[in-house]
Amino acid sequence: MRLEIDWTRCDGHGLCARLLPERIGLDDAGFPVLGDRTVDTDDLAHARRAVSACPRLALRLEQAPSPATR
Amino acid sequence: MTTSPNTALGTARVLAGTSRGRLDLHAHRDAHGMPPRRDAAQLVRDARAVRLLGRGGAAFPVATKLASLPVGSRSRVLVNGSEGEPASHKDRTLMRLAPHLVLDGALAVARALETRRVTVAVGDPASYRSLHDALLERPDGQAVRLVRHREGFVGGEIRAVARAVSGGPASPPGRRVLPTVHGVDGKPTFASNVETFAQLAVLLELGVDAYASVGDADEPGTTLLTLLGDLAHPGVVEVPTGLPLASVVGEQAGPLLVGGYHGTWLPSAGDLVLSRPALRAAGAPLNAGVLARLPHDTCALGEVAAVARWLADQSAGQCGPCVFGLPSLADSVERLCRGEDVRADVSRRVGLLPGRGACAHPDGSAAFVRSALTAMPAELDTHLRHGTCGRPVLGALPVGRAA
Ligand code: SF4
Ligand code: SF4
Repeated sequence: MRLEIDWTRCDGHGLCARLLPERIGLDDAGFPVLGDRTVDTDDLAHARRAVSACPRLALRLEQAPSPATR
Repeated sequence: MTTSPNTALGTARVLAGTSRGRLDLHAHRDAHGMPPRRDAAQLVRDARAVRLLGRGGAAFPVATKLASLPVGSRSRVLVNGSEGEPASHKDRTLMRLAPHLVLDGALAVARALETRRVTVAVGDPASYRSLHDALLERPDGQAVRLVRHREGFVGGEIRAVARAVSGGPASPPGRRVLPTVHGVDGKPTFASNVETFAQLAVLLELGVDAYASVGDADEPGTTLLTLLGDLAHPGVVEVPTGLPLASVVGEQAGPLLVGGYHGTWLPSAGDLVLSRPALRAAGAPLNAGVLARLPHDTCALGEVAAVARWLADQSAGQCGPCVFGLPSLADSVERLCRGEDVRADVSRRVGLLPGRGACAHPDGSAAFVRSALTAMPAELDTHLRHGTCGRPVLGALPVGRAA
């Protein structure tokens, strides 16, 4: 699975960075900076928790690889 | 730019017959004949045989896109004529001068897909009039819905256009939906740029072998370019692919912009070859075909700063990293122009943009600024030393709404 952010929804509260600090940092304006996006089975539960905590439903786990945009 | 001549260097195909002005239906049929009918499988085969790539920006293989669409009345065809990049003029040139070629291509795709739902979205008013008149001239014109779409650079992105012509906002969707799955009216849609449809019409007219008789084996045929600034043939030109880049933009050293405002600055043309696959492999994708060389009497860094500011203003205001990141980047480039050494700050900001938006605008804008600073070391040095290069910013890179 792969971590994805719907940037049109994310409002930069940064909750995800607190729950997944090893993968997600924050920029000056408080928006998440994703490090390693690939999530394997060991980390899945952990990542799922961050996903369900995102108040804007912006953070998602998607089937890798993500399709091209056009 | 409106007064610039349209030139064909060697091969006029999509621009055939246009040197004397717009082709009405009669003149168009004289120049191109009637396109033969093809079913979807045949069209896919032909497009694959000539390795036709989309001419908007993403250069996606047309055959792959076409093959993924279901045949039947659910499918839609969308012609993107928004051309929101003020430096690009090739699409409006085609729509103004050869509207029937674009329509032939769009209707051929619709017939192959056995659908009658064709939408053409157009920004430029003169292009709109030209297509409007063309539709009245054609017996098959009622099948086409012509829509005004003047929504800027990001609003011209194909997914934003698909949304807008379906009654939604003219901004890219947050999720990675493909128009081929969820396009116009939420239906599977073959969506592409104006020139792609004109090239398809020429492919039908000539057949695979004749189409591929000119150009590079990687991407046979011709391509339209918009040449800007200090170049021998400024304006819109049609060239066979595979020419040395230097033969189009000149041998002289000096920063050269390939691929427009989401494109890449190079220190010179070097031995690059003009084709989408070759330029992409060289890290300088052709995108919508804008090539620019700055005149010597303008402030090069100031031109870059003006475009960086314009790019920031184009952000559709949806995604935080783009909304905050692009204006701060533009600020930093302006500070560089004034001689403040904020190079580290610029690199950091540029590094934070790619992949952090719903569309490729942050990525393209980052590439534009990053490559400019590497391709202009002397200019940068002068500004850092003296706070100016002494030249005014002439606006060689247009940033207003395109005429
Ligand atoms: S928790 Fe959700 S809304 Fe908040 S910063 Fe992370 S992705 Fe954005
Ligand atoms: S990345 Fe920027 S331009 Fe693209 S949709 Fe988001 S805010 Fe708009």
